[in-house]
Amino acid sequence: MIEVEHLSKIYGSTPAIEDVTFSVAPGEILGFLGPNGAGKTTTMRILSGYLPASRGTAKVAGFEVHEHSMEVRQRIGYLPETPPLYPEMTVEGFLNFVAQIKGVSAGDRANRIKAAIEKCNLVEKRKTLIRKLSKGFRQRVGIAQAIVHDPPVIILDEPTVGLDPRQIIDVRNLIKQLANDHTVILSTHILPEVSMTCDRVAIINRGRVVATNTPASLMEQLMGGSGYELDIAGNSIAVQQCLQRVEGVKHVEEMQIENLPEHRIKVRVVSESNAEPGHAIAAALVRNGLGLYEMRRVQASLEDVFLDLTTEEKPLEATPETADTTDNVDTEPPSTKSEVLPTETPSEDAR
Amino acid sequence: MKTVLANILAIYRRELLSYFASPLAYAIAAIFWLVSGFLFWATLEGIVGQAALYDAQAGAGVSVPPIDIPYEFIRAVLGVVGSLSLFVLPILSMGLYAEERKRGTLELLATSPLTNWSVAIGKLLGVVTFFVTMSLPLLIYEAIALANVNPPVQPSILLLGHGGLILLAAAVLSLGMFISSLTDSTILAAIFTFALVLGLWVVDLIAKNFTGGLADAIGHLSLLKHYTNLVQGVVDTGSLVLFASYILLGIFLTAQSIDALRFQRS
Repeated sequence: MIEVEHLSKIYGSTPAIEDVTFSVAPGEILGFLGPNGAGKTTTMRILSGYLPASRGTAKVAGFEVHEHSMEVRQRIGYLPETPPLYPEMTVEGFLNFVAQIKGVSAGDRANRIKAAIEKCNLVEKRKTLIRKLSKGFRQRVGIAQAIVHDPPVIILDEPTVGLDPRQIIDVRNLIKQLANDHTVILSTHILPEVSMTCDRVAIINRGRVVATNTPASLMEQLMGGSGYELDIAGNSIAVQQCLQRVEGVKHVEEMQIENLPEHRIKVRVVSESNAEPGHAIAAALVRNGLGLYEMRRVQASLEDVFLDLTTEEKPLEATPETADTTDNVDTEPPSTKSEVLPTETPSEDAR
Repeated sequence: MKTVLANILAIYRRELLSYFASPLAYAIAAIFWLVSGFLFWATLEGIVGQAALYDAQAGAGVSVPPIDIPYEFIRAVLGVVGSLSLFVLPILSMGLYAEERKRGTLELLATSPLTNWSVAIGKLLGVVTFFVTMSLPLLIYEAIALANVNPPVQPSILLLGHGGLILLAAAVLSLGMFISSLTDSTILAAIFTFALVLGLWVVDLIAKNFTGGLADAIGHLSLLKHYTNLVQGVVDTGSLVLFASYILLGIFLTAQSIDALRFQRS
């Protein structure tokens, strides 16, 4: 549905994106992940036909975006970085205008507008002037204008910016729902977002796509399996020696944690891929007379994959870190300590 | 073709709506009405005074040239209103594209299946319609003032004068729209439009200082000269062509500048 080949965009002498290649299959959601200024918006703008590329080709539904701009424009819904809204219009009036210029026939218009308003939860606000809407509602109106004409391809540039956690979940569900009969490409710099919504992720950094894969295989590919975090009473060297010998353990590192009780250390054990050394680790520790206070399994998150990235997501909702990584192993002792001790997300150790 | 018209209509309606929903537009209209009302009254008083003076002179046996008072009145009123428009029109046109650029809605228009031409035409029609609404009360004042003159004034003269005013406005707004498409600052757009229009207003005065074909050609660009023609009831094809050229030039340049914008945007 979307094919991008060797796409480059150069402003003056500074390249915004260089040699970007990826494709999106029909019905798929591709997440475009990268830090601010990585070239996400530039890529989206080229795909929407707003900017011409310096080199390379981008095709949407088989049409080259620059040469057959009109055909492409008819087939896309686009939410730019700042939602394009006319503050003096009502939500309904604005969507009606957008439906008109997107070429929705007069007969279909009322139904389409109604559907877009319902999908984006704007029913109570449909008669409100856009000027009077809060940022979250404006963002939703922005999404509504991108889907009002029911385009086969939807391009969303940071669709969840400015929304509260409840709305973020709504929007993510909406995007997933859209993917049934639309092809969606969305950009974000929030990591959990891609692993929650996207079928595939393209990670872009400094204008180059550094990896494209499913969120799960990206994590696996780049981090090689899961690991364990252990809270142990004992000598650092002894612990290291003991754990290094366990089969399936790739390496052991001590975590620098403040306010630990004396003679206690926290270590991180990274296992070989496809190995489950949890039981062996526990057994080895017991054999060597080392006291185990806590042991939990951690999975590499996308954050580990892309260390340069910063996430702005607050843990107000069930983020993948807490959902996926604190997969409690049955060897964990029923200690109250684990609640008292600060729980570290793997990303922070990795830095 | 049908979709092009539908698109122009959609843009036109949105543009018109934005004027009628904008406090700035109401403020401009109010000031325009106030000042044009005052100018109308002052011109009427002046003409009536002049007529009384002529009457007195004629009564005293001094020979005076024949003078068509209603005609002189229309000419004078439309003359001052034309000059007043010079200040008002740049304010109306300044936001046409600058505002869209600032709000980011140009990105919506540029990624919708619309040609730049239909957007420009729709916008120009919208702002011209707003100006027509602004100038309508003036036509009513004139009709009232001239209702009882003897012999009656031909309505065609009045309508031709106002047609000229609207053509002048459309030409200025079209050029103003182009300037507005070059910047995302409305203030800059207004200032540059004003400067350009002022230049075109008086360009024949400048041209008079020179001789030769070029000076003649430049002199013909003058808005004031061709406007005065129409207001005087002279339907000169040259004047109509000139106004039409300005309007088309403005639309053409706007469409081109929006297209060019895509190549230089950073």
